[in-house]
Amino acid sequence: MYGDKHIGDTLLKVDNITLAFGGVKALTDISFEIREHEILAIIGPNGAGKTSMLNVINGFYHPQQGRIMFRGAERKAMRPHLAAKQGIARTFQNVALFKGMSTLDNIMTGRVLKMKSNLFQQAIYWGANQREEIEHREVVEKIIDFLEIEAIRKTPVGRLPYGLQKRVELARALAMEPDLLLLDEPMAGMNVEEKEDMCRFILDVNDEFGTTIALIEHDMGVVMDISDRVVVLDYGRKLADGSPDEVRANQDVIDAYLGVSH
Amino acid sequence: MFYREAGQFKTSYSADQAIFPIRQDRLGLLLLGLVAVFAVPALANNYFLETIFVPFLVFAMAALGLNLLTGYCGQLSLGTGGFMACGAFFSFKLATAFPELHIVVVFLLAGLGTAGVGVLFGLPSLRIKGFYLAVATLAAQFFLVWMFNKFNWWTNYSPSGVISAPPREIIPGFFVTGNEASPAAKYVFLLIFVAVLALIAKNLVRSRTGRSWMAIRDMDIAAEIIGIRPLWAKLSAFAVSSFYIGISGALWAFVYTGSVEALAFQIDRSFQVLFMVIIGGLGSILGSFLGAAFIVLLPILLNNAPAALGIPLKVELISHLEFMIFGALIIFFLIVEPHGLARLWQIGKEKLRLWPFPY
Ligand SMILES: Nc1ncnc2c1ncn2[C@@H]1O[C@H](COP(=O)(O)OP(=O)(O)OP(=O)(O)O)[C@@H](O)[C@H]1O
Ligand SMILES: [Mg+2]
Repeated sequence: MYGDKHIGDTLLKVDNITLAFGGVKALTDISFEIREHEILAIIGPNGAGKTSMLNVINGFYHPQQGRIMFRGAERKAMRPHLAAKQGIARTFQNVALFKGMSTLDNIMTGRVLKMKSNLFQQAIYWGANQREEIEHREVVEKIIDFLEIEAIRKTPVGRLPYGLQKRVELARALAMEPDLLLLDEPMAGMNVEEKEDMCRFILDVNDEFGTTIALIEHDMGVVMDISDRVVVLDYGRKLADGSPDEVRANQDVIDAYLGVSH
Repeated sequence: MFYREAGQFKTSYSADQAIFPIRQDRLGLLLLGLVAVFAVPALANNYFLETIFVPFLVFAMAALGLNLLTGYCGQLSLGTGGFMACGAFFSFKLATAFPELHIVVVFLLAGLGTAGVGVLFGLPSLRIKGFYLAVATLAAQFFLVWMFNKFNWWTNYSPSGVISAPPREIIPGFFVTGNEASPAAKYVFLLIFVAVLALIAKNLVRSRTGRSWMAIRDMDIAAEIIGIRPLWAKLSAFAVSSFYIGISGALWAFVYTGSVEALAFQIDRSFQVLFMVIIGGLGSILGSFLGAAFIVLLPILLNNAPAALGIPLKVELISHLEFMIFGALIIFFLIVEPHGLARLWQIGKEKLRLWPFPY
């Protein structure tokens, strides 16, 4: 366990990323890094380019300029499933669950890269495939316990309230046992109680599994509470980068972003 | 009251993941199996076997195949007829070129060949979706039927373009194709063959492959960030689906009709199987059987029921009625209950669990 948290070396480094959609520049010359075992918050007003940044890291968007180093190696022509293979998991701003499947199946799907039995073994089911299914079910059940969603195991996710859907999505990402977890507004649309639960889960994940987390969040209270470092984006540019206290004191940030709420 | 899992606690994940976790389901299925294997061939006359049970099983196989692709993986296909034709003509060429080959091996090889064709015509699904993919599979449909019709190599140069299934035994003395095959023999053979393939389909959909298909169907972006390769998931769905549909085409030609021409597998065949899947239930193995049963039985009911009730109906009216009922049902199921008869069956079971208490 990580009794007192040890923030390590750079896990992911974003270097001079520029991303444009036609004439619209979503990201301009962005550089920052994510360090091992830390919780990094990415904040900024609507349309600042936060989601776009995650999409670049994930391999959904391909920046016109710049490069990304993951574990010291430059990633070329990244596709989302390759990012997954390297250990990057993700949740979405608008919940992106598999609506036709149960909670359990959604989370089991997160194990897809860890499962090895071939089509023939799956067709027979008994034997190798069944052993594998049970083995992964045990891991999934641990995650279900961890996130306290035992009661909705068999429920089709489409029938769950929004707050629980977000939790199942986190469970699915955790099932991948990622090294880097990207969370796009994990607490959006939640009530205070649900937010507190979610904060606790994020801290626990970071603490118990040592997972590095980059999260986007609008609620400044939450950001200041749980993050080790904060990156501030505005209109596709990086305004500031530092500890919560440094960022809070930064005049540019106060003018451009925090100023809005005063 | 009678249909309850109360008291049946699962103490292990393997019990919870069992194919039919509820005891009543297992008993029911066992009973159904016994009736199907022993009672039906003993009690039903040849007419019923040949016009209801045999086509039902062949169609169920086709519906199962299409359901894997459309219901589980979300890829709409209108090429079912063309893939059935592949299975029929591949098995005809194989059976006539290698007479010593066992008939089940012929069917399986024909299925594998069709799987290859399915993968080829499934390639566009990597770029296009929904309506546009349906149009691309339509191209497969027309091309395949045209090809089998045009080149009489496929029919061994039969002048009529019709292929006739050569007689073959499943075990010595037990013919399942050709003139000597009895309807009861055909039925029992189909029953076992289709049941085994249905079991395999069920195993696939409750494993990694099936979950990957459903993930692609429900949210392809999220599937990809989990590590599912859309290429692999979609093409494997096309392959497995076409394997089943190809075998159903082979069974159609060899066991059901005994002789067939390419025109038997035109676009209306594709729609017929699609309707089975929609009415039976998208994404349900059971639904494939229910849909096939429904579409095989409805015309027979419409033809016989009015006369039996003493209401004389003209033949044309009956065939029009058939279309109207199909149309209405398809609209109903697409809008109100996309999970079809299978879902209605499940709701029925849930009600039965609570009966006679309302809550
Ligand atoms: N696929 C796309 N095509 C065109 N423009 C896009 C695309 N994705 C993002 N953009 C543009 O990029 C800019 C940044 O969008 P982005 O979604 O990254 O913002 P955000 O910081 O996540 O905002 P929010 O807080 O509202 O989620 C916006 O102007 C948006 O319109
Ligand atoms: Mg966003």
